[in-house]
Amino acid sequence: MHDMRFAVPGQDVNREPFADQVPDFHHRSSLMQTDKGYKCRITNIVPLTENEKLFQLRILDPDERNMFRFRPGQFLMLQVPGYGEVPISISSSTSNNEQVELCIRKAGHVTSALFEARTGARVAIRGPFGSSFPMEEMHGRHIILVAGGLGIAPLRAPLFWINDHRDCYGDVHMLYGTKERSQMLFTYQFEEWEKINHISMHTIVEKATPDWNGRTGMITELFDEIEIDPDNTYAIVCGPPVMFKFVCNYLDKQGIPMNRMFVSLERRMHCGMGKCCRCMVGSTFTCVDGPVFDYWSVMNLKEAI
Amino acid sequence: MQHLGFSHNKIKIGSFDFTCCEGCQLQLANRESTLPAFLELLDIRNFREISSEKHDDYDIALVEGSITREDEVERLKTIRSNAKVLIAYGSCACFGGVNSLKNRFPLEESVKEVYGEKQIDTLPVRRVSDIVHVDFSIPGCPVSKEEVERIVVSVVTGSMIGLPKYPVCVECKQKLNTCLFDLGEICLGPITRAGCDAVCTTGKTPCLGCRGPAEDINFTSFTELVTEKQLPVDDMNEKLGFYNCFEEFRHDKS
Amino acid sequence: MIYKVIAKPEFEKFIDALVKANLSYGPQQVDTDKDGNPIYQFKEVKAVGDIAFDYTATASSAKHFLTPYRETLSHFTFANGDWEQDISYDSKPLVLIGLRPCDISAINILDDVLLNEHFPSPYYLARRKNTFIIGMDHLPLPDCFCKSLNHHTVTTGFNLFCSDIGDKYYLSINSSKAYNYLKEFDIADPTDEDDCKLIDRRKLIKQSFKTDVEVTGLPSFLDIEFDSPIWTKWGDKCLNCGTCAMVCPTCYCYNMEDRPDIDLKGSSRQKQLYSCNLVDFAEVAGGHNFRPKNGDRLKYRYYHHYLGFAENDNQPICVGCNRCGRACLADINPKDVINDLRMEKESCMICVSPSPDKT
Repeated sequence: MHDMRFAVPGQDVNREPFADQVPDFHHRSSLMQTDKGYKCRITNIVPLTENEKLFQLRILDPDERNMFRFRPGQFLMLQVPGYGEVPISISSSTSNNEQVELCIRKAGHVTSALFEARTGARVAIRGPFGSSFPMEEMHGRHIILVAGGLGIAPLRAPLFWINDHRDCYGDVHMLYGTKERSQMLFTYQFEEWEKINHISMHTIVEKATPDWNGRTGMITELFDEIEIDPDNTYAIVCGPPVMFKFVCNYLDKQGIPMNRMFVSLERRMHCGMGKCCRCMVGSTFTCVDGPVFDYWSVMNLKEAI
Repeated sequence: MQHLGFSHNKIKIGSFDFTCCEGCQLQLANRESTLPAFLELLDIRNFREISSEKHDDYDIALVEGSITREDEVERLKTIRSNAKVLIAYGSCACFGGVNSLKNRFPLEESVKEVYGEKQIDTLPVRRVSDIVHVDFSIPGCPVSKEEVERIVVSVVTGSMIGLPKYPVCVECKQKLNTCLFDLGEICLGPITRAGCDAVCTTGKTPCLGCRGPAEDINFTSFTELVTEKQLPVDDMNEKLGFYNCFEEFRHDKS
Repeated sequence: MIYKVIAKPEFEKFIDALVKANLSYGPQQVDTDKDGNPIYQFKEVKAVGDIAFDYTATASSAKHFLTPYRETLSHFTFANGDWEQDISYDSKPLVLIGLRPCDISAINILDDVLLNEHFPSPYYLARRKNTFIIGMDHLPLPDCFCKSLNHHTVTTGFNLFCSDIGDKYYLSINSSKAYNYLKEFDIADPTDEDDCKLIDRRKLIKQSFKTDVEVTGLPSFLDIEFDSPIWTKWGDKCLNCGTCAMVCPTCYCYNMEDRPDIDLKGSSRQKQLYSCNLVDFAEVAGGHNFRPKNGDRLKYRYYHHYLGFAENDNQPICVGCNRCGRACLADINPKDVINDLRMEKESCMICVSPSPDKT
């Protein structure tokens, strides 16, 4: 700290310090949010597709690791010093502090650098930030999870949550569509989810390729495989805006109230704390008011779709 | 920067000048405070302002100057085929630059004006991208060493950052400068790409647009404001044509 | 708050002592425009004589003293596959002299956003705590519309506020610091006559406003008029130059970037004030732009300013200083845009004329 004295000639400068003491922001919880992240080691990198990889991180400091808690749907700011920061939704189970999983698509320069990273590399995470899926509110109800493309990444956390508390929920359907087979993520887990966790999986691709023997078409076509009980169903939707618009409109027509459909929005973010305003949609912050919104709110966010 | 588990290689670089003042290349050899660190990033294979060695195995070719002779065209094509990445730097390479003034007159006339009766092999001025594919442009007359450093670092680290997309006004206002329009001058700041730290306007010299148009500029509104403020349109056109950067927007091409 | 009066010569002595002992900024004339009008900015002052007490308004606001246009938030030093992060938010004590009520209100709004929310900014806090603010009232310029937004007076956010009551200043002392220093000078309790003069002064200021922007119901208009053609109309004029946001006392949106040191042994995290009018503000990785058109971006700035965001309890953040209007080369100003919007809305509501086609 500088010697902060407010001096008027002839006065004892020490009588009145000009500067008020600034509270100690090095206190762990607050600074972790604003600028400093939890340092992590990349313990494993799972290549998923040409442009997507799953990064498994372990928070180095044991205290910080124990302190790190998040809810399904929340995101964190991933710091790659020297390159920058990007918001990434958390893709792992909320009950597992040992390992934080992030499913990342190579898009900008930070993620491109990350794609060159090797196991053992160090990054830092700030957060968690944002709103989450109201998993408790859904107790006793059926859940339809709808994912398009990379949209499956933020849905893994609620899915793991459901698996952990499987008895709390009724029928759980997972509808997943991608452009083609090669872009389908986490296929290696489908069987486990289906057989062990009793999640009924439905998949579709837009473009058939020789390695695909499932259905071809738009994701909304998958709805003919399931029966919807509109009074007792919640929906969690994540994917490109065009997709969730179609999906939510369909579900709306089926009679599911808009406030029981949840979507996760994506925007550019530079802070995660409702300050930089990069992620504003209408007059709402994706980072603090979102990223999880119910569809009624999204309908009211004029720039959302 | 090895926390991601890999280290950065030096980049093999060559720098080549065509029709220009070589001021941009000199600019690279400037700024002594950071020069050793800057050179440390580079494996200089061909750069006559810095080293006398000459090799043809470079990854990145920095090309300065506009193209005005047939032999330059051939030389440029060879450089392109040797280089993995070709960066045009300086307003001459990127836009034709001041040299482009020549294109406003019949070729023979300008040769006669400068060289008298001497026979000179010359072509109308062209920008580098008129002849070969350009991967990246660093405009400016001269280029800003700081920006070049930043871009070279980003090439080394593999995070190809771009140029600012916004106009000079942002940087100019950050310097608390008085708007030159308020002083009755025409300034191209509102339509010119930032990155120069508003060096000219801070010195009260109107921007002549050496860095070319910013992204998605509103050229119509700009010309309208010049007319509405009853400022001389000739002066505006003179400034717009100075570095040949705004040709795609101009209607008065003569 | 304690109220005192001070004779103008004594006040100058006080200010002189203050600026000689501290890093101080006050209004100074920096240029004369083409029509002969002075242009002012907050500049460093070394003696009371440097300060233009009779200034009208500065071209740029005082926000950059608290949230700089560009600042390094932290620095990473790399070694052995790891790094150390140095975070510094020290701030040198600073005296700001001559801020107008709207300028101080603007700082109060920045406080709401940057200090009083869930994630207070230590960088801002350090500066805010170490800034000593002396406000001064003034007669409004013809285009000032702070009264419409109720920011022509201010009761918090400053250390000392001076109202001009002729040969004296009527002082509102809002911090013990200010009071302590003033005690060394010749100050007196206000007499009844001083109080009357203050009331007259306030009346005069209030009556001197020539520009009124009707803001009642504006949030609802803005919400309804999202697709209004007026955004295209004004957007077509907008140069996207960001000038409005740079001179604005409350625009605080920013950009973050990591800038590696040239020797690659370290890297700085830098914050740069940005503007929603700039073309790539809403661009995401991969290149998609959520606000591709000029009008979208212009509209967004008006939404932020007049609809407000949850982070400051949905209050408008515009203080009515019209710096953006004065600085805009394309002649876009809040008064005209809002009136346009209101006319469009009202003409629709009473169905005198059909609403213009929406595109």
